[in-house]
Amino acid sequence: MLLSVRDLKIHYKTPLGPVKAVDGISFDVPQGKVVGIVGESGCGKTTAVRSLLRVMPPVAVFAGGEVIFDGTDILKLSERRMNDLRWRDIAYIPQSAMNALDPVWRVGDQIVEVLRKRGNMSKTEARARSEDLFAMVGLEKNRLRDYPHQFSGGMRQRVSIALALALNPRLVIADEPVTALDVIIQRQVLDTFATLQREFGLSVVLVTHDISVVAYVCDFVVVMYAGKVVEKGPVRDVLTAPSHAYTIGLYNAFPELSADDDRELSPIEGGPPRLLNPPEGCRFRARCPFAIEVCKLEPPEVQVGPGHTALCHRAHEAAMLRDQARDPAVWRGVVTS
Amino acid sequence: MRYVLSRLFYSILVLWIVGTILFFMFRLMPGSPLAAFIDQTSTLEQQQALIARFGLDKSLFQQYLAFLGNLLQGDLGQSFFHRRPVMDVVLEALPNTVILTLSGLIVAYVFGVLAGAYLAWRRGTLVEGIGIPIALATRAAPEFWLGMVLLAFFSFYLGWFPAGGANTVGMEYSSDWARIFTLDFLRHLTLPMLTLAIYLQGLPLLLMRSNMIEILQEEFVTMGKMKGLSSRTIVLNHAARNAMLPVVTAFALGVGSAIGGNVVVETVFSWPGIGRLLVNAVSASDYPLAQGAFLIITAVLIGMNFIADISYRLLDPRIRLAASN
Amino acid sequence: MPQAIDTAPPKGLDLRLDRLPDLTTGKAPSGLMAEISLAAQTFVRVPRQNAYAAIGLGIYALFILAALFADQLIQYQPLEILFSDTYQLKRSLPPSADHWLGTTQGGRDIYSQLVMGTRSALAVGLTAAVCVVAIGTLVGLVSGYFGGWVDNVLMRLSDIALGIPFLPFVIVLAAFLGAAQSNIVLGIALLLWPNSARVIRSQVMTLRERAFVEAARVTGAGQWRILFVHISPNILSLSFLYTSVAVGWAILTEAAVSFLGFGPSNTVSWGYMLQDAYASQALGRGQYNWFIPPGLCIVLVVMGGFFISRGYEEVLFPKLKG
Repeated sequence: MLLSVRDLKIHYKTPLGPVKAVDGISFDVPQGKVVGIVGESGCGKTTAVRSLLRVMPPVAVFAGGEVIFDGTDILKLSERRMNDLRWRDIAYIPQSAMNALDPVWRVGDQIVEVLRKRGNMSKTEARARSEDLFAMVGLEKNRLRDYPHQFSGGMRQRVSIALALALNPRLVIADEPVTALDVIIQRQVLDTFATLQREFGLSVVLVTHDISVVAYVCDFVVVMYAGKVVEKGPVRDVLTAPSHAYTIGLYNAFPELSADDDRELSPIEGGPPRLLNPPEGCRFRARCPFAIEVCKLEPPEVQVGPGHTALCHRAHEAAMLRDQARDPAVWRGVVTS
Repeated sequence: MRYVLSRLFYSILVLWIVGTILFFMFRLMPGSPLAAFIDQTSTLEQQQALIARFGLDKSLFQQYLAFLGNLLQGDLGQSFFHRRPVMDVVLEALPNTVILTLSGLIVAYVFGVLAGAYLAWRRGTLVEGIGIPIALATRAAPEFWLGMVLLAFFSFYLGWFPAGGANTVGMEYSSDWARIFTLDFLRHLTLPMLTLAIYLQGLPLLLMRSNMIEILQEEFVTMGKMKGLSSRTIVLNHAARNAMLPVVTAFALGVGSAIGGNVVVETVFSWPGIGRLLVNAVSASDYPLAQGAFLIITAVLIGMNFIADISYRLLDPRIRLAASN
Repeated sequence: MPQAIDTAPPKGLDLRLDRLPDLTTGKAPSGLMAEISLAAQTFVRVPRQNAYAAIGLGIYALFILAALFADQLIQYQPLEILFSDTYQLKRSLPPSADHWLGTTQGGRDIYSQLVMGTRSALAVGLTAAVCVVAIGTLVGLVSGYFGGWVDNVLMRLSDIALGIPFLPFVIVLAAFLGAAQSNIVLGIALLLWPNSARVIRSQVMTLRERAFVEAARVTGAGQWRILFVHISPNILSLSFLYTSVAVGWAILTEAAVSFLGFGPSNTVSWGYMLQDAYASQALGRGQYNWFIPPGLCIVLVVMGGFFISRGYEEVLFPKLKG
């Protein structure tokens, strides 16, 4: 197991008190596998994955848990030791390369910078390697001399990939890497990325709010909601037998995943709870069509299949709930306060 | 390149229009009757010659053409007071102003940029809380008053620096260059230059600070941390480089406006530059000289505006190279 | 991809939509009085939250009071030449109980001059600032809203105004038209409007495309109506910021012009005091009591303007925090 996140908690300090952005999440990333983290905006996924590099805004603090990378709890490392890991062992692909690249530096120079400063390469070695990296991601080497704004969105993301792989990391965190691109380009970039992942045996944590991306490239999926992991497991199992109401709802919201072509879209009404004072018990209760009295209590993590768990009191009834969920009427008028 | 040429053409156009405005201002305003353009104490022949040269017996429009024609030949007229061509008098004074302005600005901007970047880095601390009001105070203080305070304390009281002028009276020099590269000149330059620097540093300081704060929030700064780059690398090589762009433009604009604003500093320190020349000329009703000095100052201002315009385009690759999507 | 699960409201929603005009009649439902009361409420609210605004307003309050009650605050007339009991000219006396800041080389009470100077400073400052910002706002509104050749012409005019050296121009104006404060104000108004005009212009250009303007246009509201009834209120806060800063520039300009000797000699201003001090060799005599206070007063008032502008800007136009 390359990465094990155990009960990770991250709080944001605000004048009104701590906001529990990430409230005890656990998941594993096996060597060479792609783990997708899916959830809506504000569920804590970006905060969680950025914390894996220990680069967080000053208002965010670790409030508990462990992050064990290759046998070491990186939360306990000194800043210097942690910095050694950055980019060399764990790299990051940002959502929007346009903002993530220095606009007044040539793209090639930005790759060379990382190679020389963190990879101890000479100028010639670094230049040669940057050409290789570009070739790997399908970009012409003469474009190394261009500035970020001269690339199209898809090509810029390829630059980000090249940059991330520069020092041969073992773990790559991709934070919504294709969200900002249009659908056709998304596929192309994902294909390139998947090829490289297989070729180099990279372990990947891929954050997205788009379930079809998860279906396309991931081996495992972790579903987050309101700072908690509500379901996780092998991709095929979670998508064919979703066992948490939220996952089931997501499934309904993305019809292209199902075989039924004439299934109606039924969005999940309402919005996520405020994390300053999270509600007691199950956090999805207010929007869940299947909520019952016991849901006011903290839900257990229930095993619903090999390596597949859901955080729900009614997880054992998942099959029946999935059936009921096919009717869009079930999802309307659900929201309670 | 085409852009540069079109801006150049435009700047020349503005210069011409402003020159025209000046011409009419000096001719038509009350208190400057036409006849005053000719020194009453010169001889009749001289007066006739001047009338002919400037076409003062002709219509206003023809005078204007004569003015333009003379201007293009570099003839700005004859100074009443100095009884020499205006161009000569102005060119004597110009280097002093240029040196004073440039040295003051360079000191101001180097300090301002460093201090501004530092304040941005120390955001939310006491240093910032004190630093900003102090910077604002220097911008709120009249330049000449700063000069007066420095003069009173460092010159009259401590005696460290001379009380005015650019060189000690009575010294002789082989050439203008020789005059400038002396310790004597430097001693004379120090106080006025410091005055300028203190007054001017507020702008680059606040500008740099505000730019840096914005830039430090940008994603590519966070990315730098993720890559494991040192703070020094991130701040200097990336953040500061981005933040500097508007500062460079401001510097060019600053030269243009300081040349005109120098008037007061030159007066306080009796610095023999164009500003003081203008003030004295206006006081003495030496219209050709006043007009000539004004024109030169204007030319510098418009020229620097032009340079500021194109420098921003050249420095920012996003503007220099069109996106090739 | 249907964003079914993302139900948070989009960021940057124009919070002023709650004040959408009643589209059927083309009138804002609240009307002018409500506008004014809202502005007044905002004006008062900000200093409570923000130290800069509070301090700035405090400084201004102090000087305005000094200006209003100047006659009560001084013992002697500022231009009155004073003699001691033994008929000696009270030349350059150091500060004392009688003359809190001492006297000038010409025998005048410095403190009286200082207090009286507030009137001149505030009069010139406020008049000039209002003129500059009025012109700038008007130009910005018209230029930004109508675009086209109107915009072109106005922007060329602003280029010309920016091409004229500021202080030399005001000096020449004062020299030729006479050393009156009105001429100084004229010079300031003629050359300083482009800065505010440009900023307001770009703000108007952004607002022009906004939904509520489109809505008003669709219901047939006339262009001038849209400009003045719908767009102006959004601009006025910018104008206010500029005004508080412009007062400072105007006071500094007047001081410089007076110092150079081109200001009125029958009105006591701080610039006049400094010119008097300089010409009377106060620097050489180390008469700090004479030339420090007027300069300090200028610094305070101008800084007050900066503080007000900064304070209100922090509250009204907050930038994203780190």
